[in-house]
Amino acid sequence: MDFLVSSLAAALRLIGTFSPDVVDAVGTSLAVSAGATVFAALFGIPLGLLVGLSDFPLKRLVVTVLNTLMAVPTVVVGLVVYGFLSRQGPLGVLGLLFTPTAIVIGGTLLAAPIVANYALASVRGADPRIVPTALTLGAGRVLAVGTLIAEIRFGILAAVIAGFGRVVSEVGVAMMLGGNIRGYTRTMTTAIALETSKGEFAFGMALGILLMMVALLVNLFLSLLQRR
Amino acid sequence: MKVMYRLDSIRKCYGSNVALDIEGLTIAEGRLYTLTGANGAGKSTLLSILAFLAPPTSGEIHYAGKRVAWDPGSMEEYRRKVTLLHQSPYLFGGTVYDNVAFGLKARRIHGDARERRVDKALDDVGLQGFRDRKARELSGGEAQRVAMARALVLEPEVLLLDEPLANIDRGTAGLLETVIASLPARGTTVVLITHDPEQPGRLNGESILLEEGKVATPHPPVA
Repeated sequence: MDFLVSSLAAALRLIGTFSPDVVDAVGTSLAVSAGATVFAALFGIPLGLLVGLSDFPLKRLVVTVLNTLMAVPTVVVGLVVYGFLSRQGPLGVLGLLFTPTAIVIGGTLLAAPIVANYALASVRGADPRIVPTALTLGAGRVLAVGTLIAEIRFGILAAVIAGFGRVVSEVGVAMMLGGNIRGYTRTMTTAIALETSKGEFAFGMALGILLMMVALLVNLFLSLLQRR
Repeated sequence: MKVMYRLDSIRKCYGSNVALDIEGLTIAEGRLYTLTGANGAGKSTLLSILAFLAPPTSGEIHYAGKRVAWDPGSMEEYRRKVTLLHQSPYLFGGTVYDNVAFGLKARRIHGDARERRVDKALDDVGLQGFRDRKARELSGGEAQRVAMARALVLEPEVLLLDEPLANIDRGTAGLLETVIASLPARGTTVVLITHDPEQPGRLNGESILLEEGKVATPHPPVA
């Protein structure tokens, strides 16, 4: 118990003194997660809306594939993207492996199915009267869909936040594609894994606390928006 | 008198179930029709076809003398002439004003014209001073009046009403009934679904009875 208490005290000291390593890891984590979330939203939201709003052959199969992609282990995504970005891979010439961009690419692939599925669930859960009401009031197809999106905006926002949560908390992609380079691609999660394995438990705990705070702040933000 | 709708051999099927099977029906301009029949008789299905929200499985509809082709490109034009009000209308998030002005914004009606029309529509349904109220915080009767104002503000050629007076208090129902009864005099054609046996008499409308998807009473052709 003393070990945990003293580690917690040391962790709080590291946070309170803005340890450069902690600040770097937090900054990198937030930057790559935000980047990946933006791209995942750009792909995932239209995809979820399209699947939710249209009927087409093999729709059920597409939904099943989207659901399955949500459960893909992060190391598998890391492995596939690694194959593309490594020197021998088709995109190796771009020199992206072990850069923040590589983590963003992997994070985008991780988060996009989550964003798409949440957006799809929002469309399915939307009041079925929204689109007919807009249409009968003279809205065109585009305005009617725009109205639907406005009405389910909190579901869409939740989709984006779930995508962010997936990226900010994962280790596999950041470790395999970022390489855990100190001050460059070291994220909160890879730093926790590394420092804990080195016996620097307090450092890992400091980042763990900050990671939890990020998750809490994001959810508080969502909650505040929903109350408005 | 101008014919608004002419329906010829209209059938609407859901799988093997025939929800509507109307050999012929004519609806004239500036008249009020009450649509009656048991649950499942096809009343709401007919209204959604008349609102151009759902095409019939087979048959032809002429609107104002023009055959409706049901191609997506032209439906917006038809829908802007006809408005449907549901029994439990959906109010969009935002204020009463946002809801009532929705259709005017869709028609790109701006500025003073929009403000005047919104105010008049709210006035017609007795909701003066409700402009800035949150739509989702209204009572059932108030919400129904907002939905009515949202339809009236568009000054549609045809107003389709799916049991608009069900589930609301007697005072609100009386007010809305008076508004509805006044519409034909303004040139608006009204088709109203009702289960109230006395309402057709009170509204002095023509009655259309549906039974198992068919028009049960011969509907007089319009000269």
